Amino acid sequence: MKQNIIKRIEGYEKIGVVKKSFFPEELKKLTKHHFNKSKEYKKLLIYNKYDLNNVKLNKFPFVPTSLFKEISLKSIKDNKIYKILTSSGTSGSAPSKIYLDRINAQNQTIALSKIMTTILGDQRLPMLIIDQNPNVTTNTFSARVAAINGFSFFGTDHEYILDSNGKINKNKLRTFLNKYGSTKFFVFGFTSYVHKCFFELIKVSKYDFSQGILLHGGGWKKMESKKISNQLFKKYLIKNFNFKEVIDYYGMVEQTGSIFLECKYCLNFMTSYYSDILIRDKNLNIVENGKKGLIQLFSLLPTSYPGHSILTEDIGEIVKNNSCECSNIGKSFKVHGRSTNSELRGCSDTI
Amino acid sequence: MKKLKNIKILAGDDKTYNNVRLPFEEKSLNFFNELSNKISNYKHIEKYPDLSSVAFFCRKANLINFKNKYLDNNQIRIGRGLVFHIAPSNAPTNFLYSLIFGLLTGNSNIIKISSKNYDQVKIICALINELLKNRYKNLNKFIKIIQYDNSQEKVTKEISQMSDARIIWGGDKTVEKIKKFEIKPNAVDISFADRYSICVINSKKFLSLRLEEKKLLVNKFYNDTFTLDQNGCSSPHLILWYGANLKKVKEIFWSLLANVVKKRYNLIESAAVNKYMLLCKSLMQNNNIKDLKIYNNSLYTLSIKKLRNDVTNYKGQWGYFYQYQIKNLKELKKIDTKKIQTLTYFGFKKSELKKIILNYQLKGVDRIIPIGQALDLDFIWDGYDIYSFLTRAIDIK
Repeated sequence: MKQNIIKRIEGYEKIGVVKKSFFPEELKKLTKHHFNKSKEYKKLLIYNKYDLNNVKLNKFPFVPTSLFKEISLKSIKDNKIYKILTSSGTSGSAPSKIYLDRINAQNQTIALSKIMTTILGDQRLPMLIIDQNPNVTTNTFSARVAAINGFSFFGTDHEYILDSNGKINKNKLRTFLNKYGSTKFFVFGFTSYVHKCFFELIKVSKYDFSQGILLHGGGWKKMESKKISNQLFKKYLIKNFNFKEVIDYYGMVEQTGSIFLECKYCLNFMTSYYSDILIRDKNLNIVENGKKGLIQLFSLLPTSYPGHSILTEDIGEIVKNNSCECSNIGKSFKVHGRSTNSELRGCSDTI
Repeated sequence: MKKLKNIKILAGDDKTYNNVRLPFEEKSLNFFNELSNKISNYKHIEKYPDLSSVAFFCRKANLINFKNKYLDNNQIRIGRGLVFHIAPSNAPTNFLYSLIFGLLTGNSNIIKISSKNYDQVKIICALINELLKNRYKNLNKFIKIIQYDNSQEKVTKEISQMSDARIIWGGDKTVEKIKKFEIKPNAVDISFADRYSICVINSKKFLSLRLEEKKLLVNKFYNDTFTLDQNGCSSPHLILWYGANLKKVKEIFWSLLANVVKKRYNLIESAAVNKYMLLCKSLMQNNNIKDLKIYNNSLYTLSIKKLRNDVTNYKGQWGYFYQYQIKNLKELKKIDTKKIQTLTYFGFKKSELKKIILNYQLKGVDRIIPIGQALDLDFIWDGYDIYSFLTRAIDIK
């Protein structure tokens, strides 16, 4: 992997190479790279008799996201580890660990900024963060902190409005809105936090977010238990707080950077130059567009760990015959939430 | 007759009893027979195959077989007293089997059920209560089914101190936890620890079967394994192939099984991903794997390079098997550890298998059972003779 992937994609864009032609070639290179650098990944491919020259999207090998909880998967030497991202993990299980070297971390930031420009423009905006100040002191980050840090890059004058008890500091909020509320500003938070925070605010008094662009994502489980759809939530926020825009995003800690933004018009998640998607059934076969199944995600960013093709536990579908202009770049998709957990049968537990 | 505090009673009254009777008493047999009828007549029984199985098991006609097998009229045996059962949380009907053991051996029983609220548990307990309130009032002294939070160690401690025997399901972790609480000096524990099970198939005999017979055997193998998502302690993980023509035999066997799985098994999405994750993990970490064959994610087979005694760590779930070819049954010695519980077999004479145990005096293998009966509970289980353990033997000269 001599030349940086970001540079290469810029190059493709410049001379008009379409995604369809460069994406599989890049995936092939990445697969070979990880095959050569990670002995665990190599074993997986050898046992599966994988053909390294494959360029068919649906034939690329994939790693289940939960595997990152079980095994340290790295394609770099230990002394090159720059950052470790961890996911919170489902209760009781170990967190996922994603090992980044400097280049991989940098590429994540650049790719993310390219994707974010489409909604924020080129300028950094004053930023309100619906969370606590993470005050990072180690090189190990939770997925949440990693996201806050990642997105903070696109803001200035960051204001974290949750206190250490998770309550909104209304003074801070008022001060922020007074100071920056009259021009475009950026609001970021995890969906469940945003939800809780704005439901709390509505009880107090009116706030004007008419210049605010809200980006939220993650925090699935908590939202599902509340049974509020994303569309209803969006309407609620726009109606009560007058938001200029409310945008949902979908992403995985295993593929930080190449996130999927919701399209303003068709409200589906969009793939970018860095990402792609397939849907598989429980036999792990590809299902046709418009049918639900397990989400498999591709990202061209992971070079320090073999996470360029992952199988998630989320259920989604690729939108069939999407005529929206967002589908010019690639597929668009819907996410229907986490596949319900299987109840473990057997006689080995009494909890 | 102390009252128990901080518990939820699902069946029986709120007093504790410590009564004993003779084993296989008629009234108890009738009780289970009526319960069996009631369960079978439950209006949505088709939704719960495990309810049907347990109803079938507790018919009097079946339980009489145990009576004939174990009750020895030349010997006097009587119940031990109070038996405390800690039932497993992920096999919803298991507590009823445990109750059958405790009641037919002539004991008072307290059964702790996990706080997961399974329909099967509710259905069975409601029916038991119906019987206890009407025709079987006097069995209240012998049956109590309770729930309490695991954090309430006080309750476990209190019941343990009163008990003459405990039956601890749930594997190593639970056994360890429960054993911290003392029982009476002369009380006994029946502890079901983590186990590993294997299967041995005589390839020549398998090949000589007609297609229909092959299919029948494969269906039986399916019942042993897929019924509990291969999580039952007696469900095999390692298949040993004995004899010649092995490539052909394996291909036939697994392809037939893949067909059965396609028809009968519903693998849900999250299990599909977990299963694939387990596969990736073993392929990346286990250095004893020779090759791999995937039958549509519904069935994985992994051949191993060497038979070593660490194979008891090679566990699959949801239809995920390890396999190895053996030249003679003596090779079982290579994997002999206390961990091994059930050996299911096809194509061998009972006497041949008996010989292995006798000649090599194996540490493991508690059950040698034809394919298809791996999950059938019996009073002899996991190396324990439960009938003897739960009764007091009286010597009269």
